[in-house]
Amino acid sequence: MAREPDGFDVLVSDLRALAPAVEPGAAEVDAVTAAVLARLGAAPPAPERARGRALPGDVAAWFARRRRRLAVALVVVLLALTGVPAVRAAVADWFGFAGVKVKLTPEPRSSSSPLATPSPPPSVAPGRLAAVRHLVAFVPRLPAALGPPDGVEVSADRKVLSMSWNDPAAGVVRLDEFDGGLDYGFAKTAPGAEYLDVGGNGGLWFERPHEVVWLLGGTSRHDPPRLAGHTLIWEQGGTTLRLEGDLTRERAVAIAESAVPVF
Amino acid sequence: MIPTDAQLVGRAQAGDVEALCELVERHRVVALRVGYTIVGDEAEDVVQEAFVKAYASLDRFRDGAPFRPWLLRIVANELRNLHRAAGRRAARERSAWQRTEPLLALPPDEDPAAAALSGERRVELVRGLAALSEVHRQVVTCRYLLDLDEAETAAVLGWPVGTVKSRLHRALGRLSAALAEAGPGGAGGVGGVGGVGGADGAEVGRGA
Repeated sequence: MAREPDGFDVLVSDLRALAPAVEPGAAEVDAVTAAVLARLGAAPPAPERARGRALPGDVAAWFARRRRRLAVALVVVLLALTGVPAVRAAVADWFGFAGVKVKLTPEPRSSSSPLATPSPPPSVAPGRLAAVRHLVAFVPRLPAALGPPDGVEVSADRKVLSMSWNDPAAGVVRLDEFDGGLDYGFAKTAPGAEYLDVGGNGGLWFERPHEVVWLLGGTSRHDPPRLAGHTLIWEQGGTTLRLEGDLTRERAVAIAESAVPVF
Repeated sequence: MIPTDAQLVGRAQAGDVEALCELVERHRVVALRVGYTIVGDEAEDVVQEAFVKAYASLDRFRDGAPFRPWLLRIVANELRNLHRAAGRRAARERSAWQRTEPLLALPPDEDPAAAALSGERRVELVRGLAALSEVHRQVVTCRYLLDLDEAETAAVLGWPVGTVKSRLHRALGRLSAALAEAGPGGAGGVGGVGGVGGADGAEVGRGA
């Protein structure tokens, strides 16, 4: 307090003591960053005005481990979805795994869509695996433990291959595959995730229901969020695989480890 | 190494959203405080808008300049844009004070014995602030309640720094006189512990 006007020391220190009363509430403070990001997302400075979402920059640093370029739209979408109050928390809790962005949240939002049966992404080429596998730029993998898929689809941008099975025990089981080096995939907000070993590679197991957003293409197209059930994500030979269904962790890992390339 | 504001600005200019977030997080509290006490009930919108505008004009941010006054100037400009008509602005500023006043008068949640100010002293200060003219109250608010420095205060209020200094001095004089008047018991009558005008400096504040 070096330069207070003469003779007002006590007055000034008392005035300063009033300051905590005008401290904004934590909720308002937290809301600012998310709101600003959302605003930036909603008011694109660049010509790239894809469906109202902008790409003011590059959030690669958020996922420094993988250094992937990623549209800010992704982050905005998630903030909006989860109502995440603090971006500090978001920065701290976000992590990337094989092209999947995960944000840990205390609980999934109860108001989300109900736990949905896995459904494949929009497709251009439903059909047999042999018929569509040349549409994707990576080598698809097929889990021998599940046998031939009942449904095969390729996303509209041909970057995600999805297969589904009607499993007698687990009901619909879905497997999504995409090039894990891509700058998008899907994003999840989850109350918890567990690292585990899948045939010598790292995997992530989501035991509890969690929100999933498809982020199809860098142009910010995305599907509405839905709650997903048990999910295993792992990486194999540069391809990211995501298995979802009413599976135990042991069975999911067994299925994952049975996946072999389809040439 | 914690990056400086300038480094963050540089990164944000290059499109680094993490740097932008860090900048927002560093300065959102002060921006909100300014918003609440000077703008009033549209504070959150104003602050949001200010950050968005700041981001859009980062390329005009002068290298090496301190970021906070620059940002606060944008906050203040936003406020002015909001209330271009002088009459409306005056009304808005009054309402900002009307919102702030009860907050100030409210004793903190913590143990009253541990509070830096006695309840009576607090009430007197708030009354004294209320009795000041708008400009005097604003300059005191910026400097001490919001803990802005002179340059930041000048940025927020849109005055030259010299005006900030002179008005502040006058405001403290007025406030001090009003407090002395309000405590008819004489020197010991106001704060319980401290004296009027603070010559003895006995009352311990937390204003470090």
